Amino acid sequence: MALLEVKNLTVEFGSEDRPFRAVDNVSYSVDRGEVLGIVGESGSGKSVSSLAVMGLIDFPGRVTADSLTFDGQDLLTMSPGKRRAITGKDIGMIFQDPMSALNPCFTVEAQIMEALKVHEGGSKKERRERTLDLLNQVGIPDPKSRMTAYPHQLSGGMSQRIVIAMAIACNPRLLIADEPTTALDVTIQAQIIDLLLKLQDDSDMALILITHDLALVSEAADRIQVMYAGQLFESGPADSIFAAPRHPYTQALLEALPERSEGHDRLRTIPGVVPGQYDRPAGCLLAPRCRYANDRCVVERPDVGAYNGRDVRCFYPLDDHGQPTGQTTGETV
Amino acid sequence: MLGFLLRRLGDVIPTFFGVTILVFLMIHLIPSDPIQMRAGERSISPERYAELQKEYGFDRPLVVQYFDYLGGVLQGDLGESFVTKRPVIEEFATLFPATIELSIAGILFAIIVGLPLGVIAAINRGKWLDHLTMSLSLTGYSMPIFWWALLLIMFFSTTLGWTPVSGRLSIMYYIEPTTGFMLIDTLLSDEKGAFISALRHLILPTIALGTIPMAVIARMTRSSMLEVLGEEYIRVARAKGLAPMRVIMVHALRNALIPVITVIGLQVGVLFAGAILTETIFSWPGIGKWIVEALNRRDYPTIQGGILMIAFVVMGVNLFVDLMYGVINPRIRHKR
Repeated sequence: MALLEVKNLTVEFGSEDRPFRAVDNVSYSVDRGEVLGIVGESGSGKSVSSLAVMGLIDFPGRVTADSLTFDGQDLLTMSPGKRRAITGKDIGMIFQDPMSALNPCFTVEAQIMEALKVHEGGSKKERRERTLDLLNQVGIPDPKSRMTAYPHQLSGGMSQRIVIAMAIACNPRLLIADEPTTALDVTIQAQIIDLLLKLQDDSDMALILITHDLALVSEAADRIQVMYAGQLFESGPADSIFAAPRHPYTQALLEALPERSEGHDRLRTIPGVVPGQYDRPAGCLLAPRCRYANDRCVVERPDVGAYNGRDVRCFYPLDDHGQPTGQTTGETV
Repeated sequence: MLGFLLRRLGDVIPTFFGVTILVFLMIHLIPSDPIQMRAGERSISPERYAELQKEYGFDRPLVVQYFDYLGGVLQGDLGESFVTKRPVIEEFATLFPATIELSIAGILFAIIVGLPLGVIAAINRGKWLDHLTMSLSLTGYSMPIFWWALLLIMFFSTTLGWTPVSGRLSIMYYIEPTTGFMLIDTLLSDEKGAFISALRHLILPTIALGTIPMAVIARMTRSSMLEVLGEEYIRVARAKGLAPMRVIMVHALRNALIPVITVIGLQVGVLFAGAILTETIFSWPGIGKWIVEALNRRDYPTIQGGILMIAFVVMGVNLFVDLMYGVINPRIRHKR
């Protein structure tokens, strides 16, 4: 049984009659000790879907799913109190901007010890010792003096280490890292990712790594899931996705990587932007930006189907040569 | 912390001199002069007028008068009242506790009612509770004190008979002033029921005076809370699995309080302005009433001294508020 099982998760905002679907029937699962990479452009629903798993979507957002289970327990039907006992203990989360993730009014130790107090109790002395351990574990130099520091006295990288310490304080079985390195500079990025992977490896914890850095997931993730405009476009093992993308969007994303643009004057891009609330195409959501789109793509919306061991949402999944299958030539618009 | 205190004190000193100049000039810009006022309907002979001018020192240039006055102020001498011939500082000291008592009660009422209203409105944003509390606070804010006070008296004192109409204490009791604070003095005295009487006398003036600051605090708390509730660290706190009440009361409120405390400090000035009206309506023997009477008599030293002392108190409170920031907000405490 998978640790986290998400079936047809949908998150909607706005009015009942004209809702905006930030996440549209997304299904996935994460096993124990597995690293799942979720990639996609800004606005693709990566963050919102994980916030839904954490139960952090507020009114007026609406979360529905056929099932949302963690370790066999249904997260959607349990009482708020019971769910809070899981959030922060068994599922931890790290956020994008470490500089705003820490409460400016409280010391580092107060914020870490608070998580411990809620879920594990114990004496103040035990909690303080555990906090010191955690700071050591996440590689904070001179942890003793950092205990009583306030967030404004810490650098970005240091803050992110504190946020990580806070998230892993109760030994979670699943850690969701939502673009943990976006706000950090490049040298620190690598350190933070190394730290996350080390922690994941040491404790056999599952890790969901949300990012728009493809190079990063290619090295870190066991499986990858590509999202676009709230929908799942492709998912499968990391190495095979990189070797042979089956969805035109994945292919275009990979081609946009700087290291794959050698010999070109400019980096390759995907023209256009992710559709918003008011310009969602009637057919495939990618149709206006897809180089292979034909008449069918414009009017009809594809479902997710299995293809060569992957889940792909496309009428014409790509073959090993990167060409669409089942499409007669000259059909493209 | 000491450096912080000294820096803030350094800011207060120029303000203090500014206030003395302003107060002094304003008084002398008001038409009519105190000697004519005291002469009343009987006119005064030019010789006697010149004599009195000389006696009070009004014949000297304004600048000289100002520095003479400033010299006195710096030595703690605010001059003596033209009318009662008593030192202004002495009169102020006897009357000030009554005003402080009323003002403290007023600001406490404003905070105790306003803060929770703001928090409730913020966490119920856009729902009927939000609309209800915000309409109430807008009504409170728009209500002129003299009108609101009269309504309160008509309803609670006249119609329901729950509270006394005016004064600080029932005439049944005589309390020897020791601290000047009626609530404390009545508690110290042997008179049974005097404390209850003092408390009942305090209720309506407190509500009349505290309503506007209450409305301001409620609205400020609401907007500040809404801003803080949208911060990432609130989401992080929730991701830790904390109960919603703890997230709101500990993580959000503490940050939201910073701008609210500024507003509370600024409301102290508003409070003294309101005290002038409130004291007049409720016959509350405080400095508000005292200054109004002094104004009517062009009693220069009393007006100057009274306003200066009020300005001094307001500056003191704001200095205290600045220090409170440091306690609440570590970013300010550590600023070098």
